[in-house]
Amino acid sequence: MKIIVCVKQVPENDSVKIDPKTNDMVRTGAQGVMNPFDRNAIETALELKEKNGGQVILLIMGPDSFTEVLRDGLAMGADSAYLLSSKEFGGADTLATAYTLVAGIKKIGKPDVILFGRQSEDADTGQVGPIVAEDLNIPQATFATKVETISATTLEVDRDLESSIQKVEIKLPAEITVRSEINFPRYETPINIVKSFDKPLTIWNEKDLNVDPDKIGKKGSQTIVTKVYAPKKETKQVKFLSKKAGDAAKTIINELDL
Amino acid sequence: MDELQQKKQMLIQTYKRFTRRELSPIDMQIDQDGMYPVGLFNKVVATGLLSTTLPREYGGAGFDFNATSDALRIMATGNASMAVTLEGHFKTIEQFIKYGNKQLNDKHLPSASQRIFAFSMTEPSGGSNPLGISTIAKKVGDDWVISGDKIMITNGGLAQVYCILCKTDDDQMAVFVVDKDMPGFSFGKKEDFIGLRGTPVGEVVLNKVRVPGYHLLGKVGQGLEIGDNAHADARVLMGAVLAGITEHALNVAVDYSKERKAMDTLLFQMQVTQEKIADIAIKRQNIVNLYRSAANNKVANKPYRELAAMAKSYGSRAAVISGDEALQILGGYGYSREYPVEHLIRDARAMELAEGTIEKMNIEITNAEIAK
Ligand SMILES: Cc1cc2nc3c(=O)[nH]c(=O)nc-3n(C[C@H](O)[C@H](O)[C@H](O)COP(=O)(O)OP(=O)(O)OC[C@H]3O[C@@H](n4cnc5c(N)ncnc54)[C@H](O)[C@@H]3O)c2cc1C
Repeated sequence: MKIIVCVKQVPENDSVKIDPKTNDMVRTGAQGVMNPFDRNAIETALELKEKNGGQVILLIMGPDSFTEVLRDGLAMGADSAYLLSSKEFGGADTLATAYTLVAGIKKIGKPDVILFGRQSEDADTGQVGPIVAEDLNIPQATFATKVETISATTLEVDRDLESSIQKVEIKLPAEITVRSEINFPRYETPINIVKSFDKPLTIWNEKDLNVDPDKIGKKGSQTIVTKVYAPKKETKQVKFLSKKAGDAAKTIINELDL
Repeated sequence: MDELQQKKQMLIQTYKRFTRRELSPIDMQIDQDGMYPVGLFNKVVATGLLSTTLPREYGGAGFDFNATSDALRIMATGNASMAVTLEGHFKTIEQFIKYGNKQLNDKHLPSASQRIFAFSMTEPSGGSNPLGISTIAKKVGDDWVISGDKIMITNGGLAQVYCILCKTDDDQMAVFVVDKDMPGFSFGKKEDFIGLRGTPVGEVVLNKVRVPGYHLLGKVGQGLEIGDNAHADARVLMGAVLAGITEHALNVAVDYSKERKAMDTLLFQMQVTQEKIADIAIKRQNIVNLYRSAANNKVANKPYRELAAMAKSYGSRAAVISGDEALQILGGYGYSREYPVEHLIRDARAMELAEGTIEKMNIEITNAEIAK
């Protein structure tokens, strides 16, 4: 099983200070660490590999300093790592990031599973995984709290939808975004830390990837952040309707009070 | 960051994550129970922490004392007992690396990532005067037969391999390596110490334990030198543990002083508190500087014995005083077992004794200064 895990570097949360006047995150001097949720994705990948054989490949887009995060993942047990690094990739939103990652995934070649952490601890959008799946036109499962091997071509995934658990079978190749509840990521043992420096780590830029320059970095980004604020807290209820379309339609009409 | 720095940072992250998840939450419980909970030590082994300093050719990670001491400091901010358990192991491994013959090391070191190693000098008659020991090693053919009684041994009972300081029948000092499974080896009394209550400290009894000749560490006559070297290595790492304990006290005091009001003023805004917090912070930094100087000199193959003695002599006193000042900041709560400060004082206090008393270290420091 060839498994690609996309990871990200975020500021270590105890080194981030909040500016008391502006309420902004002050990241100067903050030490970069692997996005904690991505450790869950790597753990999932390593468990899949332990069961099915194969290899775990890490992929990250970012500046050269992000190799440190890749070493972390290699020290957890991944086999190889790729960094997509270029000035041209800078300022990317989730769309341009996903486009670039997809180019990387295509160049690495035919994975069976692509794994993401649920979201990044800093920007917290949770979008990149699903966009990658769409771009590659492969099935996806988000909010995974369990991933079981059914066969060489099928996985069973538990999706935690807060009020219920949904079991889905997913045909490979597929993209899965895992929640942090899925597992406890293993520690990088001192020996594996040292060995991680003997594992292959490849750096590619936009020329290596053969990408459309208008779709990467700031140029390729469609998102404009106009304002950042804390949303009002509301809880919403989800009702599951009967499987029969006619019954469901009736219920909706009643509910809508038409 | 160069590769060495990066590896060190990763090591520290592992220690930090392990400490936060596995140790800090049960720090108070370990003190109250006077032991590690079942399974904790297995997690230490499974995480590979025992192999931190073990050379790569024996299956270890081969980290130097610069990285290892910082990692132990981080661990000690969460729980000093486990940091001392590892310190006892690491300092013993160092003596194998420096003095061990190939056959001895090939036999024992590959297991050091799973098994704890300990160093035994102290006897009921006293620890400060190693020449006064009565454990005896008699040469029988190519083997040695060892009899004696060693007390207050860090990790005694938990450790599986023991270095034993002995007198040979021709009245020379020598260190022998003994496996706990050898006939004639047994465990005696476990100490009920007031601090570092997780770290097992106990007695080992040797009743005609027969070891092959290659179990001699170094040479006959080198026993005191090896003992001194083990002390120096231990003191570097204990300096780091003491810096961690002081940092723990500082963290508790700072957090408390930011919440607690006296009249209408938060404690940290009052000059009396500021003086204490500043004093603890300065002490913490001084200990860090001392143990790091010692560690860096060791790594660079420069003399480090005096610096190591300074790190532990100054560090142990400074950590005890810092704990006392933190206790005072917390007022009555500081004197309560519900807060960790009181056990930090007891933990730090152990290191005014273990690995050479403060008095012995100060004699050594003075001798070194006089000889300059
Ligand atoms: C937590 C802990 C862990 C330990 N772990 C180990 C271990 O792993 N291995 C091991 O071998 N031992 C270990 N010890 C024992 C420790 O090394 C001894 O307690 C220490 O060396 C002192 O010996 P003692 O207790 O016999 O005191 P003594 O030697 O009887 O000393 C009593 C007092 O007299 C002072 N004194 C003695 N001689 C002199 C002198 N020449 N000049 C001035 N003052 C002097 C001492 O400083 C002390 O204040 C440990 C002790 C503790 C508390």
